[in-house]
Amino acid sequence: MTVIEVKNVWKKFRLYHEKRPSLKEIILFKGRGKWEDFWVLKDINLKIEKGTTVGLIGQNGSGKSTLLKLLTNIIYPDKGQLNIKGRVSSLLELGAGFHPDFTGRENIYYNSSVFGLTKKEIDKRVDEIIEFSELEEFIDNPVRSYSSGMYMRLAFATAINVDPDILLIDEVLAVGDANFQKKCLRKINEFRKQGKTIVFVSHDHNVVAKLCNYAVWLDQGEIKASGGSKGVIDSYLAHMAEQEEIRLAGEHKQREENDVIGEVVDNERVARTKEEVNSEQESQGQSPNRWGTREIEITDVKLLDGKSIERHVFDSGEHVTIQIRYKVNKGFGNPVFGIGIFRDDGICCYGTNTEIDNLLIKDLKDQGAVLFKVDLNLTEGHFLLNVAVHDEDGYMYDYQSSRYSFVVNSKLSEVGICKLPHQWIIS
Amino acid sequence: MLKTLCELYKYREMLKNMVTKELRQRYKGSVLGFLWTFLNPLLMLVIYSIVFSTIMRIDIENYSMFLFVGLLPWMFFSTSVLISTGSIVNNGNLIKKIYFPREILPISVAITGLVNFLLSLIILVPALLFFKMEITVAIFTLPVIIVLQLIMVLGFTLFVSSLNVYFRDLEHILGVLMTAWFYVTPIIFPLQMVPTKFLWLVKLNPVAPLMFAYQDIFYYGVVPKWESLGNVFIFSVASLMIGMLTFGYLKRNFAEEL
Repeated sequence: MTVIEVKNVWKKFRLYHEKRPSLKEIILFKGRGKWEDFWVLKDINLKIEKGTTVGLIGQNGSGKSTLLKLLTNIIYPDKGQLNIKGRVSSLLELGAGFHPDFTGRENIYYNSSVFGLTKKEIDKRVDEIIEFSELEEFIDNPVRSYSSGMYMRLAFATAINVDPDILLIDEVLAVGDANFQKKCLRKINEFRKQGKTIVFVSHDHNVVAKLCNYAVWLDQGEIKASGGSKGVIDSYLAHMAEQEEIRLAGEHKQREENDVIGEVVDNERVARTKEEVNSEQESQGQSPNRWGTREIEITDVKLLDGKSIERHVFDSGEHVTIQIRYKVNKGFGNPVFGIGIFRDDGICCYGTNTEIDNLLIKDLKDQGAVLFKVDLNLTEGHFLLNVAVHDEDGYMYDYQSSRYSFVVNSKLSEVGICKLPHQWIIS
Repeated sequence: MLKTLCELYKYREMLKNMVTKELRQRYKGSVLGFLWTFLNPLLMLVIYSIVFSTIMRIDIENYSMFLFVGLLPWMFFSTSVLISTGSIVNNGNLIKKIYFPREILPISVAITGLVNFLLSLIILVPALLFFKMEITVAIFTLPVIIVLQLIMVLGFTLFVSSLNVYFRDLEHILGVLMTAWFYVTPIIFPLQMVPTKFLWLVKLNPVAPLMFAYQDIFYYGVVPKWESLGNVFIFSVASLMIGMLTFGYLKRNFAEEL
């Protein structure tokens, strides 16, 4: 049985360029449009069968929340039709109807009535709600004395116990501590088992994958894909990776351009104040991201995938080559090349150099490349690459920190920094 | 419209809670609390009695009671309309996040006004006895008048609260309008005092016959004249229809306009 049917639904928002026009402006500028129509949803068609758990995914501004609001009947479509069968409860924002001066118990009654329950129905549920919220001791205190966690717990408990046929949830699970989150998820799972329909908006594709058997991917107001949640999430993630790649590549280009400008400025300064030759090193030493004498200079760093194409987004475990291009400016001792991989919160994931790996470099061409081949066994996250070249005594030729940033995606939700090779044996 | 009515019935618990919330909140934190609901009209009456018996002598028997009888229903009308004007705008947070029949908000203001009015009647009856005025059988017609007024108030509150979302100046305009309206309604003066050339203003005023009815019941102790109330009935029902239709049409975009 189809419980939610969305037929050719269009929704526009009117974006005013300024505040609401005053009377003077209405009279003076009559007929001059000061707004723009923006189509948030374009021709959405959707059929949801009873008992399905649907995940709505998509980037910010893709229209997920708008669609949810349409389903809730808070806003209405400009074109098209929505048919919904059964009692709907929506968790768009928890505690929206709470009154700070009322006690927890009073708020349960008050808020449940806003959801359309009668006194008798609330009486039946109130104990269950209090138990679920774990607020037995505080239930007769005014809500304004609650911590935000307690507030959210009470709000979720109230909203979820309305016992709807269709539950609409917008990103509200991000609240509360881990334990309570688990409890919420368990409750939602219970709902699924009772054969209720759930529509669920989340950025967390892991939760969507876990909870939903059907997913809809919205992109700029259009349904880009819908179907089994696994397939949709995979193509969504692939798309996101592509976007991230484009963004990071753009950032790099920007940085390189800035570096060139910086160097020109450096050179000019050196030329102007000849007597302060020493200060050249100092001033370079002050630059937080790059220092060294540049007798050997690192000119370019790239991460290449298996097909030798430069990329910034990789899957966990992918085979990657770090390519460091160098240029020799002056005579040198025995150079040592090194790399360090850091997570964006500053944790060093791995670092090594040619000396540690017992590789003695005696001779270098004027220009060339050093390749570092590695299986990228990192967990999901943002990472930064430091590169360096120095002599065996640690005399720094060129050190560049955060030279390259890249992202690792993983379809598994393992935790930690890197993936240790492992196997399970159960006996 | 029928669908809206069914839904309103389903959400009756919310309506009830909104009204109790309003009533509780008004005197929240004060020592006397709910007692103020009675104290307010009582003290008002005391002041009027003193002013009009000693300072401003008016040649009407029991003038302070005459005034009081008209003032109470007028306050029911004007405060309900004025407070309801902002009821949608002020509850934007609720409207944007939760679905419920939006009509509840202005209706709860009207019902709150009604409850306050009924409670103030509890002061009125002993006051009448205190001033040695007779309470006649005419009092049995009171419920009809109150229902008539409630219908009219509901119509007005629905109309102004929805319109105010799109035209926020309405709140301020209404404030002034109500003051003017008060003086074209024979509350502080009997109809006989109105000059004949302005009589049409009172005739056009739909609230005036209601006030006459209250004065008839309490002050003169006679059964109200039904002919004039027939027109009020038509007007009340029409205003409720218009209010509901306007509200029903405008409510679709509330969440976006707030």
